[in-house]
Amino acid sequence: MTTPSRLRITGGTVYDPAHGVDGVVREVCIEGGRIVAELPAGAPRLDVRGMVVMPGGVDIHAHVAGSSVNHARRLLPEEHTADPVPAPRLADGLPPRSGTGGTVPSTFATGYRYAGLGYTTAMEAAVAPLAARQAHAELDDTPLIDAGFFVLLGNDDYLLRQIAAGETARARDYAAWLLGVTRAYAIKIVNPGGVALWKGGGGTRNVSGLDDAVGSSAVTPRKILETLAGAANALALPHPVHIHCNNLGQAGNVATTLESMRALSGQRAHFTHLQFHSYGGERGKGWKSGARDVIEYVNGHPELSVDVGQVMFGPATTVTADGPVEHLLYASSGRKWVNVDTELETGCGIVPYTYREKAAVAALQWAVGLELFLLAKDPWRVVLSTDHPNGGTFLSYPELIRLLMDRAYRDERLKGVNQKLLAGSALLDGLTREYTLGEIAIVTRAGPARLLGLSHKGHLAPGADADVTVYAPDADRAKMFAAARYVIKAGAIVVEEGQLRRAPAGARLAVHPDYDTAVTKDVKRFFDDYATVAFENYGAER
Amino acid sequence: MSPPPAGAVEHVTCLGCGCACDDITVVVQRGRVAEAQRACALGAAWFGDGRVPDEIRIRGRAGTLERAIAEAAKLLSDAERPLVYLAGDVSCEVQRDAVAIADRLRGAIDSLAGTAAPGLLAAQRRGRAGATLGELRQRADLVVFWGVDPGARYPRYGARYAVDPVGLAAPGGRKSRRVIAVDVGDARGPADADGRVTIPAAAELDALGVMRATVQGRFIRTDAPLGEVVALVHDMTRARYVALVADAEPGPTPSDPDRAEALIALAQALNGPTRCALSTLRGGGNRSGADAVLTWQTGFPFAVDFGRGYPTYRPHAGAAERLAVRDVDAALVIGAPATLPAAVAEGLAGIATVAIGPRASTAAWKPVVAVDTGVAGIHEGGTAFRMDDVPLPLRPALEGADVRSAAATVRGLRERLEGDA
Repeated sequence: MTTPSRLRITGGTVYDPAHGVDGVVREVCIEGGRIVAELPAGAPRLDVRGMVVMPGGVDIHAHVAGSSVNHARRLLPEEHTADPVPAPRLADGLPPRSGTGGTVPSTFATGYRYAGLGYTTAMEAAVAPLAARQAHAELDDTPLIDAGFFVLLGNDDYLLRQIAAGETARARDYAAWLLGVTRAYAIKIVNPGGVALWKGGGGTRNVSGLDDAVGSSAVTPRKILETLAGAANALALPHPVHIHCNNLGQAGNVATTLESMRALSGQRAHFTHLQFHSYGGERGKGWKSGARDVIEYVNGHPELSVDVGQVMFGPATTVTADGPVEHLLYASSGRKWVNVDTELETGCGIVPYTYREKAAVAALQWAVGLELFLLAKDPWRVVLSTDHPNGGTFLSYPELIRLLMDRAYRDERLKGVNQKLLAGSALLDGLTREYTLGEIAIVTRAGPARLLGLSHKGHLAPGADADVTVYAPDADRAKMFAAARYVIKAGAIVVEEGQLRRAPAGARLAVHPDYDTAVTKDVKRFFDDYATVAFENYGAER
Repeated sequence: MSPPPAGAVEHVTCLGCGCACDDITVVVQRGRVAEAQRACALGAAWFGDGRVPDEIRIRGRAGTLERAIAEAAKLLSDAERPLVYLAGDVSCEVQRDAVAIADRLRGAIDSLAGTAAPGLLAAQRRGRAGATLGELRQRADLVVFWGVDPGARYPRYGARYAVDPVGLAAPGGRKSRRVIAVDVGDARGPADADGRVTIPAAAELDALGVMRATVQGRFIRTDAPLGEVVALVHDMTRARYVALVADAEPGPTPSDPDRAEALIALAQALNGPTRCALSTLRGGGNRSGADAVLTWQTGFPFAVDFGRGYPTYRPHAGAAERLAVRDVDAALVIGAPATLPAAVAEGLAGIATVAIGPRASTAAWKPVVAVDTGVAGIHEGGTAFRMDDVPLPLRPALEGADVRSAAATVRGLRERLEGDA
């Protein structure tokens, strides 16, 4: 069928947790790209009797566009050769494009594959402001998803100078200016202070805890977190500061993670890929799960939200602004390694990686992620993610959903993994919880939309964006969620009978907070003194 | 059309080489570039006076744009093995449309990156330890020029990035840094270096291997002829942050194809005892933008073939190799013909071609269809990439001048081809 401007989706079992709708057969009406309360009797119908209807999926944290992602793509010709993506046969609209997949797909393939899963919104989680222009260009070439990005702050020399000088207000104005000038959506912090030390090249190449000095004794990871969390909240950004803690991937890092959470006590903050930050044990001496302590803290603090960053067995590519972590991974894995220090701002490290069931640490990481999910009390604050492509690709979300929904399957998989480090994991105690379809709808769309402050997404009430996904039920939940039967994006039927039929451009999600423009004079002076790009050429304003 | 702007345009990005200096002030008088302030000689020559030919030639005769696009579309659609070639002096926006055309035609696409293939392939095998140029400015206290004097082909590299400017950790600018020239055979480092090491060209790979082994503590004797490089690498490990600079573009004498990988391996190994970034110098015309665009749209940086209906990577069968064995029966060249490597230009002489870009009508290989356009960064805007993959906006001083837009022309051809479903 062609895409009508009106559509009545009838007969489906609707999951719309934002409005307490948990598996009710009802109609969803669409007109002009929005959900509406009702339609005239003759409006075109889409009969989805027996199927499951949810809002379009919302990915709160993935690496899909920008300079780091593109460095990763360039590093992986063998993966792209092994996973060709011919151009889809589309019914109308923009001409289709071919591409390649692997753990870091080409841009068009990224959009097509997200839509195939029933996802219609995604946030690129780490963009260096210097390369914001590139991130926008790549997102322009990524169809079907509404997208925004988080801009990297917290290791940038200008900000660290303001913190050293106690200039909190100026730091806030600077953050607001940077968000606007790069057309970003939220503030991302990666290993606060640690990347700056890595780039500095002195004897200390990372921070080890929240109170290490970063250059000046007045600058510590704690101060950076406080400054930026305070800025995000003072600016009333729709999404709070999005934090990748210090000591990612280290045994015993649970202490740092909890201390980071306590440092922001009472303030809104989002802690990302929590799995990578929830290890007990001691560095150099052994690992164990620290999931229980971390998730209990999160459960008790409604101002905090997290996404899990689940590790899935199979190929992955680790790509992060956390340069020192990737150097460690390179040194221990011997795989190929990219490092790009980015002037005055941040870093970038990339190592392709494979998580194997028989590897003790990978099995622990897998278990820790599942523990976080299964011990979480409030699904609205615990989002499904794999930190694509770090813990696994977004194509592994359906398998992850099966692990959450199907205890028998999970227990069976658990038997097959290396048990060496699993002592003390709650998973071994026989966690019986099985996620319901309603809870899956929360952790994959309603929750992340709410945490991102996307009031038009993640729900199906009148006025919401007409982003709707229809799945054919299957006892095998991985199969069910791997291929949506229908996807409606901004009112257009983009997936029909499981086939991608249209690939319209997505919208860009960005914020433009107000600030005292006096800050730009000072920033320009800093640029004139140190930068190699003119202040006037910086950013990505249209 | 509106009259060309008078006066000066500031913060203009120059694409004369890969440095992409964005501090140029272009003074415009009577619709011409009167002066490109702060530009080096290479940059001044690149801007010229801003005059470009404005012709549309179809089989050697003047024609309309409409007919040129129609003829071009037919020529390319009828081809069995079409090639799209991304030459220099076009924006990323044009490159994006060019890849779409190659995808539509199920043709091959390649770019100027073919000349730097050994470095790109080595980085795909090993990765790389790098930095943006501004990070070298902030951090480097030891700069090692490996067989290259940037003064010749990258004139302001030293002044703007690695050598002279004040950086956060280099408050004295040049005085805060040691510069070492490594002369490899005839390929000499800068004359004003603080120290100099000489290596016979035939010993280059051995030298790099010994240096890496020394860094990793696996060595080794220090006697001649490699004693000097062992001393050098000891200096490097003692530095706080090393910039290792090498030319990725081919020089007058061909370099060892394994050199690029050995340089990467050395730079990676130095990230342990110290920090090190390898800076590989690339030419101008936004060639780095072509790598980036091809990578995000196809997954591969150059030498892509859409013949099977999806991108495949043929790094050893790029444009020059295909043209040499006549595995191309028509070509679309987008960009300035003057930027083409000789092997590609020669190969194009024997087949039917379409050329769209600055001075296309003057192409020596006589295109069947030639459409002159403006130059990205002089007559039209968009985005271009510096050699270190930093994207920069283009500020055309002569935008609105009576010059055909490459972006609009290529978009017109794309739409024509997509309409021929």
